[in-house]
Amino acid sequence: MSEVLGEEPEVVLAERRYEAISRILETVVRKREAKKLTFTDILDHVFLHRALGIPIFLALLYAVFQFTFSFSAPFSDMIDMFFSWLGGLAEEGVMPANPVLASFLSGGVCAGLGSVLVFIPPIFMLFLALAILEDCGYLARAAFVMDRMMYKLGLHGRSFIPMITGFGCNIPAIMATRSIENEKDRIITILVNPLMSCSARLPVYVLIAGVIFGSSYAAGAAVFSMYLLGIALAVMMALIFRRTLLKGLPAPFVLELPRYMIPSPKSVILHMWERGKWFLIKAGTFIFAVVVVIWTLSTFPWGATSGGEIIENSYIAAFGHLIEPIFRPFGWNWQAAVALFFGFLAKEAVVGTFGALLGAGEEAVDTALASAGWFTPLTGFAYMVFVLIYFPCVATIGIMLKELRPKWVLFAATYTLVLAFIVAFIVIGVGHMMGME
Amino acid sequence: MSDFDPRIGRVMGVYALALGVLYLLFGLMEIVGVGGSGTDPIPIPGDLFGGLAILVVAATYLNGVRGLFRGEHVGLSFLIGALFLSAVFGVLYLLLMGADGLSYLIGSSDEFAALADFRPEIWFFLLSLPLAYQVWKLTREVTW
Repeated sequence: MSEVLGEEPEVVLAERRYEAISRILETVVRKREAKKLTFTDILDHVFLHRALGIPIFLALLYAVFQFTFSFSAPFSDMIDMFFSWLGGLAEEGVMPANPVLASFLSGGVCAGLGSVLVFIPPIFMLFLALAILEDCGYLARAAFVMDRMMYKLGLHGRSFIPMITGFGCNIPAIMATRSIENEKDRIITILVNPLMSCSARLPVYVLIAGVIFGSSYAAGAAVFSMYLLGIALAVMMALIFRRTLLKGLPAPFVLELPRYMIPSPKSVILHMWERGKWFLIKAGTFIFAVVVVIWTLSTFPWGATSGGEIIENSYIAAFGHLIEPIFRPFGWNWQAAVALFFGFLAKEAVVGTFGALLGAGEEAVDTALASAGWFTPLTGFAYMVFVLIYFPCVATIGIMLKELRPKWVLFAATYTLVLAFIVAFIVIGVGHMMGME
Repeated sequence: MSDFDPRIGRVMGVYALALGVLYLLFGLMEIVGVGGSGTDPIPIPGDLFGGLAILVVAATYLNGVRGLFRGEHVGLSFLIGALFLSAVFGVLYLLLMGADGLSYLIGSSDEFAALADFRPEIWFFLLSLPLAYQVWKLTREVTW
């Protein structure tokens, strides 16, 4: 049929359907005047342009991440200052009466949880920017322009909407794949979705990029490059799966584009809040529990660690030294290895772990991490790459188990871990070849 | 047949061409990282992705020039798209400048290098405002 029609049958069917609708409308609707040119027509000419459509999308994405990274910095600093002040207050006020409680409040709650909560501004700003793009009607266009490229690569265009949703959180993104009718297309989209950099990974990028590049534009570019790398890897892996495990042609993509409109501030703020509030809930429950576990492991045995002062004698150090050899080729120490381990539970826990292990206290976690000198620009960048790729978080695994058979979930967990090691090795190798430390 | 007065189109075309060339030059300079310190009137940071982004703005302006000279809607489309991108990047860097100022005020930054933050994208955004006004006059009747 495709050969006879010169087009996919589904596309021809959709075109014929709309032609029929137009014919019916012409006979039953009496227009007072000819169709006027609208802003939607004007803007679509540029934003859906064959050559400029994708570069414009990438340029806007870059603007979103610069806004997220750089504009949020002073607001994060304010939260950081608050927790540092609170930590100092807890230490001074509670220490004489109850040293364990003082250590918990200052090292666990203020340093650990505080180091995660400082990322409220970038996460909310990311959702604000994405809400503006979505509400003005642009995100649907982004899926449309990416569809052209993705279809040529053997992928389904509808896959890109869950992929963009994945920038926020992989869980709703995986649930959004239910709109993909073709089973193989759906499995591929779910398998590659964890490679789309969710907002839980943003705190890790912002922290590490800030530590290794300072507050220069390079730090923003490093964060942006993680998102680009995520898209590139997702497309590459999808292509590999399409050519090997899930052979076949993708179903054609027919998408009705909404009109452009000026987004209403109320709707944008509501969208931002709806998506961002889960971070607050997660930080107050799950991340808090993880931080308590890390604090306990890093301060006990109480006597041996002198109340958490000599962390090398703690349970967490023993565990860290056990897993450190796996990550030593990348130049990461046991603290970085432990942070990755807790990142299996939730990616924000990586930052929480650094906060608790550094016992940042009076210092901001980024300042403490920079002073500790645990990362060079090369090892730090490789760490960011590893965090981007390795293992979906526990909650994502849970939703994948609902949507896929267990063998696919196991496959997703395994391939992301293997891919993380491979890509991080490549980064380190290329860096060494370029003469970096 | 032209969609609007080609005389207005030619003026807008020349302006768009000038802006496109400026964006192109400064985009290349940002990519190459020729620099320019904070004391220069227009500091040019070495910013690969930022440079690539403004090359996209340049391409959008330049794509519309021919259509504008002919007074065609297609030229106006590219021009509006380019003006939109100019505004996005201009406002973005103005916001970042404000954020740097705020960092200085709360004491988390030692200096507020306002001049160093005044990137070319902000100048070009300001330069594009007369063109935006002309486009607004032409498209007042157009609905969304």
